[in-house]
Amino acid sequence: MLNCGVRDNDMHKMKIAMVSFSMYSLLAIVLFTAFSADTASPVTLEVLREQVRSLQQEAAQLEEENRGLQQMLEELNDDDLYLVVDTENDQLTMRQGNKVLHTAVCGTGSHAFVEEETGRNWFFETPLGSLTVLGKERNPVWIRPDWSYVEENMPVPPLNDPDRIVRKVLGKYALLLGSGYKIHGTTFTNLLGTHFTHGCISLGDDDLSLVYKSVKVGTKVYIY
Amino acid sequence: MRRGLKNKITCLVLLLLVLVMGADAGGEKQDERTALQERVQTLREKVTSLKREQDFLLFQKEMYAADSKYLVLDIKNMRGKLKYKYRVLRDFRFIPEMNFNNNALQPGMLILTQKMEGKNNRYVLTFESSLIVQWPHSATLQGNVNIPTLLLGEKDIRSVFSAVEEGARAYILR
Repeated sequence: MLNCGVRDNDMHKMKIAMVSFSMYSLLAIVLFTAFSADTASPVTLEVLREQVRSLQQEAAQLEEENRGLQQMLEELNDDDLYLVVDTENDQLTMRQGNKVLHTAVCGTGSHAFVEEETGRNWFFETPLGSLTVLGKERNPVWIRPDWSYVEENMPVPPLNDPDRIVRKVLGKYALLLGSGYKIHGTTFTNLLGTHFTHGCISLGDDDLSLVYKSVKVGTKVYIY
Repeated sequence: MRRGLKNKITCLVLLLLVLVMGADAGGEKQDERTALQERVQTLREKVTSLKREQDFLLFQKEMYAADSKYLVLDIKNMRGKLKYKYRVLRDFRFIPEMNFNNNALQPGMLILTQKMEGKNNRYVLTFESSLIVQWPHSATLQGNVNIPTLLLGEKDIRSVFSAVEEGARAYILR
C-alpha cells in the first residue's frame, strides 16, 4: 500500500511535470510565433511600405518635372530648314530637324593674306558663327572689290568704274549673308572641296540651284 | 489516466494548431516582404533613370541658351552629335578603343580640357580625366592608356575638332 502510495505520488508529480512542460512549451511557441509573425514583420513591412510610398511620390514628381522640361525644350525647338557649313571639310549640309536633306561639296575661304602698298590688307576667311540669309539674288553680278585688283597687281579703279562690274562668275543664284559674304556659284568648279574663295561659300550649279530653291530669307546658316 | 491522455492530446492539438497558424501567417508576411522589396528596387531604378533623364534635359536647357557648340555622345549606340543650341550640326559614328571600359564612363556632362593637334593629322580631344576622343588609333598618349577612348573617322574628328573650343561640353548618354 505504501509502495502504491509512493508510486501514485510519483505518477502525479510526473503528470504535473508533463503538463507544466507542455504548457511552457506552448507558451514559448505562442510567444515565438507572435513575435515573429505579428510583431517584427509589421515593423519591417511598414518601413518597406513607407519606402514604396516615398519612392512612388519621388518618381511621380520627377516624371512631372521631366514632362515640363521636355515640353519647354520642344517649344524652343522648331522644324525650320537650316544650312550648316563645315569649313574644315568644305561641306555644306541642308538640314531640317534631325534629317539631312542634302549634302554638297563647297569652297570656303583660302586663309590667304593680301596687302596693298599703302598697308591696307585683307585676310580671306569665311566668317564663322550663326548667320542668316538676308536676301536672295538671281543672276548675281560681281562688283569687283579693291582686293581683287590688289591681288592681281592691278591699279584699283574708282568705285563707280564700269570695269568693276563682272557678270556670270557667281553662277545663277546667290544667297546674301551680310558684310559682302554670299553663298554663290563658281567658275572654278574643279576647286570645290578646297579652301579657295575670298571668304564666300561657293557651290556647284546643281547644288546651288537646290539650295537656292529650298531656303528662304531668314533661314539660319551655321558656319564652323 | 484517461484524463491525462486527453490533456496530452489536447495540448498536442493546440500546439500543432498554433504552429500551423504561425507558420502560415509568417509565410504570408514573407511573401509580402519579398514583393515590397522588389517594388522598392524597381522604384529605385526608375527614380535613378528619371534623375538621369532630368539631368540631360537640364543640360539641353542650359545649352539651348548658351552660345557654344557641344557634343552629345551616345555610348550605347556609338553615335555622336555636334550641336549648337537645339540644332544638329553634324552626326557621326565612333568606335570605342580596344581597352574601353564601359563602366568607367558614367553618364553625365564632361568638359573639354585639352585640344591637341599633332603631326600626321593627329587630333586628340581630352575631356577631364574621363574621356579621350581622337583620331587615329595610334594617337594614344603615354599616361592616358587607362582613360576610355573613342575613335572617330578622320573627317568627323577634323570637323568636331575645328568646331569645339577648350571649355566646350560633352554629354555622355548610356
